Amino acid sequence: MGQIEWAMWANEQALASGLILITGGIVATAGQFTQWYFGAYSIAAGVFICLLEYPRGKRKKGSTMERCGQKYMTKVVKLFGPFSRNYYVRAILHLGLSVPAGFLLATILGTACLAISSGIYLLAATRGEQWTPIESKPKERPQVGATIKQPPSNPPPRPPAEARKKLSEEEEVATGVSSGPQENPIPVTDEVV
Amino acid sequence: MAVSWRSWLANEGVKHLCLLIWLSLNVLFFWKTFLLYNQGPEYHYLHQMLGLGLCLSRASASVLNLNCSLILLPMCRTLLAYLRGSQKVPSRRTRRLLDKSRTFHITCGVTICIFSGVHVAAHLVNALNFSVNYNDEFVELNAARYRNEDPRKLLFTTVPGLTGVCMVLVLFLMITASTYAIRVSNYDIFWYTHNLFFVFYMLLMLHVSGGLLKYQTNLDTHPPGCVYLNGSRYRHIHLSEYLSEQFRESFPGGFSKPDELTRNTFVKICMEEPRFQANFPQTWLWISGPLCLYCAERLYRCIRSNKPVTIISVISHPSDVMEIRMVKENFKARPGQYIILHCPSVSALENHPFTLTMCPTETKATFGVHLKIVGDWTERFRDLLLPPSSQDSEILPFIQSRNYPKLYIDGPFGSPFEESLNYEVSLCVAGGIGVTPFASILNTLLDDWKPYKLRRLYFIWVCRDIQSFRWFADLLCVLHNKFWQENRPDYVNIQLYLSQTDGIQKIIGEKYQALNSRLFIGRPRWKLLFDEIAKCNRGKSISDLRIFISRSPELLFVNLSPLPCLLHKFLLLGPPRIPLSPQLRDITNLHENSWCFLLWTQFNF
Repeated sequence: MGQIEWAMWANEQALASGLILITGGIVATAGQFTQWYFGAYSIAAGVFICLLEYPRGKRKKGSTMERCGQKYMTKVVKLFGPFSRNYYVRAILHLGLSVPAGFLLATILGTACLAISSGIYLLAATRGEQWTPIESKPKERPQVGATIKQPPSNPPPRPPAEARKKLSEEEEVATGVSSGPQENPIPVTDEVV
Repeated sequence: MAVSWRSWLANEGVKHLCLLIWLSLNVLFFWKTFLLYNQGPEYHYLHQMLGLGLCLSRASASVLNLNCSLILLPMCRTLLAYLRGSQKVPSRRTRRLLDKSRTFHITCGVTICIFSGVHVAAHLVNALNFSVNYNDEFVELNAARYRNEDPRKLLFTTVPGLTGVCMVLVLFLMITASTYAIRVSNYDIFWYTHNLFFVFYMLLMLHVSGGLLKYQTNLDTHPPGCVYLNGSRYRHIHLSEYLSEQFRESFPGGFSKPDELTRNTFVKICMEEPRFQANFPQTWLWISGPLCLYCAERLYRCIRSNKPVTIISVISHPSDVMEIRMVKENFKARPGQYIILHCPSVSALENHPFTLTMCPTETKATFGVHLKIVGDWTERFRDLLLPPSSQDSEILPFIQSRNYPKLYIDGPFGSPFEESLNYEVSLCVAGGIGVTPFASILNTLLDDWKPYKLRRLYFIWVCRDIQSFRWFADLLCVLHNKFWQENRPDYVNIQLYLSQTDGIQKIIGEKYQALNSRLFIGRPRWKLLFDEIAKCNRGKSISDLRIFISRSPELLFVNLSPLPCLLHKFLLLGPPRIPLSPQLRDITNLHENSWCFLLWTQFNF
């Protein structure tokens, strides 16, 4: 229980609640219910929440699965700095966004779900979790010059000197390539079978 | 091409047939219930009040009934393990269906999710219609207490409404915690929320007992849409309305048969007021069976795992692996099966599955597991079993054995790896600690290989660290020697691969000469491998070869799905399946099907 990262679950919940809000809002405005403007509000709130929650935060330990195409939103969310990093802010924001949608029947479930996700974000915030963007590491190009520490002094064919060279030769032996002249402990004679 | 279709049918046909049957059942239930509420006379007045929302909500409810009952069946693991091992399921093809049990569970889960959405939306519209179309004539049909009652009150003050809202919240928690990303990163959240299913089912039982939707019982004395002959002025107006309605309904095209018109209007005369009665909760019948079965199984598992095991020895292996050997009375297991360990001193609530690496035989009752120390549970478990001072030494001194914590095991449960002994040729590919199911197979072969159908085993083990091979180096060498002595040198073909090539790796010791010559640096070159396997096994028919892949959690993001398709290309057999070890905790390869299709079209045969 000690190592659970609640923020990831809260993120999934908030994304799902956003979608529920959008659906409820569409039903309310399309059906032209009374107080349909709450429906319009919940569509807007749902879209905002989906965009905010789409980029998944980085896990503390291990690698995190990115959502498809999240790097564009990551850049935008990163711009908000502490407002998007801090989970207390997110908890309060979600709680606030959920209240107006509770007045309409079609979106009331979205309110409940968003309130739950706000609670889980609060739990994550009390445990000191933070949203860190997933940044792709620049591919390290192997610098050709740096890997060659000591160029070989003898021309080929070269006798084996280190364990690493021995390994690569074993590989060559396995594929059937001859390794060149070397000192054989036992004289090798050709046997014609 | 004909060969490929036949082989596809042989490999995948049964699975797709079952899926088709399930799908047709769902469609059938949805359609039948929809028509019943749309056109059935006993729901005529209710349908007038509620409209399409009634039909959609009831139709989706019947689909939910079916899926809520089916979803429990794949989770009866003891039953499935019994079916796998018993002679009652003789065909290998049918046993392969059992491998798909978790996928079926997920499919039913997704269906429940979708149709719950439809059901909830339709019922919200129903709540609105109950309030707006309050029926003054047939008061008992109403769910609202008065016209234009706030539909939110209907939702929260009726039993079905309140239980429905709670069920939606429980389902929301369960579904958001069951996504692939959560299962992979925080399995605990998934496990604890999924146990809320019991609350869900209890709420479901209450939900259907509400009896808000009623049907008409006296259809013969009060056919729906009938007219009252002796009535008030109000009723006269109603009469003309009804007449014109009948007129329009019977003759949409035009006026051609006046006799029939009069006959029609005069047949429907009301003898008495309609009587309504709530539907019997069918859901109770649907879910009671599977729920009782599941509860019985959990009870059986609880009783079976009540006695703690006796730990015989704890061995520390390189690369953070610990082996535990234990005995338990009346414990029988087949190679490839897994058990669930529960140690109250480590954690009261958590339990974790581990594949058996050594199964009890007739002569030896000891069985064992190999655990890789990756998370907090395994770390604490290791600290309890192996005090930090002696963690470097190989075997724990005997004096310490008295202080072992109590350990309970649940199981054994079946896995697809049990089948590797039932095919003539098995290609077993293991990554890291994923080798454990194959270790039990190898131990069994060490005991006696003749009773099984297996005639050739290709064993490919890929590791990152050279020391990892020492976990089973002894076993492999002994097995290799045994087959050489028995003049079956080609029975087991071992290939070890060291995937990380940078850094100097110490070659494993002189003791393991047989393995040294079978050690390759770098990743396996599948094309060459499959070429060789194909050449040696050309005469084999479709059903004789199977590929088993068992990965470690580190290889999670490596896409191994092209492997079976490559093999397919060389062998002209059907694309073999990829059964995954339970060690991986419900990790599924999402790209399996798309890759296979890609390669199929690429090679175009």
